[in-house]
Amino acid sequence: MNSIQIAQTKDPVAVAAAAELAKRLAPVSPRLVLYFATAAQDPAGLAAAMEKAFAPATVMGCTSAGEIVSGSMLQGAVVAMALGPGVVREVAVEVLTGLRDGPNPVPAAFERFGARLGVPMRKLDATKHVGLVLVDGLSGAEERLMDSIGSGTDVLFVGGAAGDDLAFQKTHVFAGGRALTDAAVLAVLRVDQGFSILKTQSFATTGKRLVATRVDEGQRLVLEFDGQPAAKAYAASLGVPPEALPALFAAHPLGLMAGDEPFVRSPQQLLGQGVKFYCAIAEGAELEILRSTDIVEETRLALERKRRMLGSISGIINFNCILRTLELRKNGQEKAYGKLFADVPTVGFSTYGEEYLGHINQTATMLVLR
Amino acid sequence: MAGTVKRVLEAVIAARGHNNPTFMETTRAKLILKGLNPAKFTESTPDDPAQVAKARQVAAEFGVDVP
Repeated sequence: MNSIQIAQTKDPVAVAAAAELAKRLAPVSPRLVLYFATAAQDPAGLAAAMEKAFAPATVMGCTSAGEIVSGSMLQGAVVAMALGPGVVREVAVEVLTGLRDGPNPVPAAFERFGARLGVPMRKLDATKHVGLVLVDGLSGAEERLMDSIGSGTDVLFVGGAAGDDLAFQKTHVFAGGRALTDAAVLAVLRVDQGFSILKTQSFATTGKRLVATRVDEGQRLVLEFDGQPAAKAYAASLGVPPEALPALFAAHPLGLMAGDEPFVRSPQQLLGQGVKFYCAIAEGAELEILRSTDIVEETRLALERKRRMLGSISGIINFNCILRTLELRKNGQEKAYGKLFADVPTVGFSTYGEEYLGHINQTATMLVLR
Repeated sequence: MAGTVKRVLEAVIAARGHNNPTFMETTRAKLILKGLNPAKFTESTPDDPAQVAKARQVAAEFGVDVP
């Protein structure tokens, strides 16, 4: 069936939640079911119940820090999208484990994808295929994962890092009926009717730049900008003392610029005279200081542009940064943001990092299906 | 010698971009995320051995043969 259906539940019991979702998604015989779940659910129980409820479909998902469904931003829910064979002609999934300390699992996973799909990942038609990536949001391995994916294929992968309702204790990805940590789930979808990836961040450039001259990339720590202690240089560029910097983090993150497009690096905290970020910054990187703008308006415009480009939109999977969600919540804009997606079947979640070409922050990455 | 990094990065963009503006742009972005901004290198940029080695390493990661 050429169809996309969505459903949500707040039933706290995993088996009952899966059954309710299956009942609501019954009009579709799905090829793929995606779901995003509050960390309050029993992850192992939910993964097993969802696999059973939707067999023989491919089922994958992760825990979240808030859920998104057409028209609403939710908390404490499970949201799901069923994609029929008319939308997803073919799907292959691979689970990657041992992200933190093991050998790079991407090449072996790509070998298995190639064997399954009959074409090596490097030669797969990237205009017909798109990738999804869900990764443990506390693994600290997202940069390495995305770097390796990007080197190994021209197929564009989009996704997010799993959350745990802001507890920052344990996040899970789901596949094959299992709930996994220190892991990622990759999917390659053949989508013949067309798709596009939307990446939007609500920031303007300020014209002020910093060069990371000493970093501890593994710790996501910048020790020096422009040869000075990082906190001092960052604060000076904003005209404030270092101790005032954390209050400005959300409004003034840094952007690694690809042309006019920022790949946002969000500061997390001051560590001594250094600045720790939510994603790594390479030594020598030149970064633009950004200034926040209105998330709802910028997202509305981005969706309008995408709708014009594609002609029509049949579904959206939205990976929205938890920092954006917190800002929307602070500004009383959650309802307005949810309404942006009211007329399109949409699911998504608030992430601990967004994935598209690399690992990024304070961004929404979306798979937009025509 | 000069311009080696520029030539290596352009070879990567040509090979992985498939003459498709979208994929040429995403390849450029991937290079920037790897710490090599193609816009920062020209044919007259003096060859820095460390940068040349890094560019060749990145080309190998992309599966692109460069002279």
